[in-house]
Amino acid sequence: MSAGNDAAGLAARERSLAVGTELEPALQATSNVQVFRYSAATWNTHRIHYDRDYAVAEGYPGVLVQSHLHGAFLARYCTEWAGAEGRLLELGLRVRRFAVAGETLSVTGVVRAVARLTDDRAEVSLELTETRGSDGEVCVTGAARIEIPAGWLAQAGEGDGAGLPGGGRRSA
Amino acid sequence: MPVDDALLTGLQAQLGIEHREELGEVSAVMIARYAAAVGETNPLYSDPDYARSRGHADIVAPSNLLAAVINWGPGAAYDRLREDGTEADTHLPGVPVAGVRVMGGGEEMTFARPVLAGTRVSRVTVLDDIGERSSNSGPMLVLRYRDRYRDGDGDLLLESVRTVLLR
Repeated sequence: MSAGNDAAGLAARERSLAVGTELEPALQATSNVQVFRYSAATWNTHRIHYDRDYAVAEGYPGVLVQSHLHGAFLARYCTEWAGAEGRLLELGLRVRRFAVAGETLSVTGVVRAVARLTDDRAEVSLELTETRGSDGEVCVTGAARIEIPAGWLAQAGEGDGAGLPGGGRRSA
Repeated sequence: MPVDDALLTGLQAQLGIEHREELGEVSAVMIARYAAAVGETNPLYSDPDYARSRGHADIVAPSNLLAAVINWGPGAAYDRLREDGTEADTHLPGVPVAGVRVMGGGEEMTFARPVLAGTRVSRVTVLDDIGERSSNSGPMLVLRYRDRYRDGDGDLLLESVRTVLLR
């Protein structure tokens, strides 16, 4: 995953966000070692995450990425995009289909709502989707609410005092 | 045990009851290991000097660490593990240890404040809601558990609402 908060990323984002804006997708590799280490770090003892024979007997082609690891990938996508100036307020997700270790996952985000909080700060609601690289199937759907500098919003109606697209709404 | 009246009655008795646990300390090693396992490269999660430069007293835990840790204690003995490797303490008050199929139905997390290394964490779990739904394999219950994680001063760190499906 590449961070979205480098200088070029910031410059591109400045005054550009509006409802419908698609964020840069990020690829997330997974591996047996990663899934094992995540189980170890969280004391997740379920065999479906490290015992391939067990996973196959349960009908899966390999050991599975943990639902919380999917959550960590979405959280990472949001926090890297938000950078040091933004703050992740809420994250919701639902695992729709499994992903086996070794799969490359793609995370995308679309702006679904924006709201100005103060002169300096704003809030953006993102719709998140994580898909499997092997067949393009959706593994996880999610939504995030992120506080950002107000300067990242597109200046709709600039000069006439009109509201922003979706302005004033707070929805997750 | 299938989804039947006895299971439903047991769960209804849990509605609104608060289960409080002292989970222990979120250590710096715990944070750094979690971040390494995920593949995080943000030094906020591993470099105390960088974290201080960002205004934090110590390194910060990745957003969903608190919600992701399955067991905060030493873990169960081998003869206390289920066939699937999981431990009997399910963190699901009212759900029997065996006989019912448990599936995750999603999670919604609200991050109240950063979790710093050294924070002592407690958790209050409440069964908020029980819904019933029919599925191809018979009746299904849809449970909503609310977990509130607080620090040693009682300040809210994270609120998580978990949806759990039983059938």
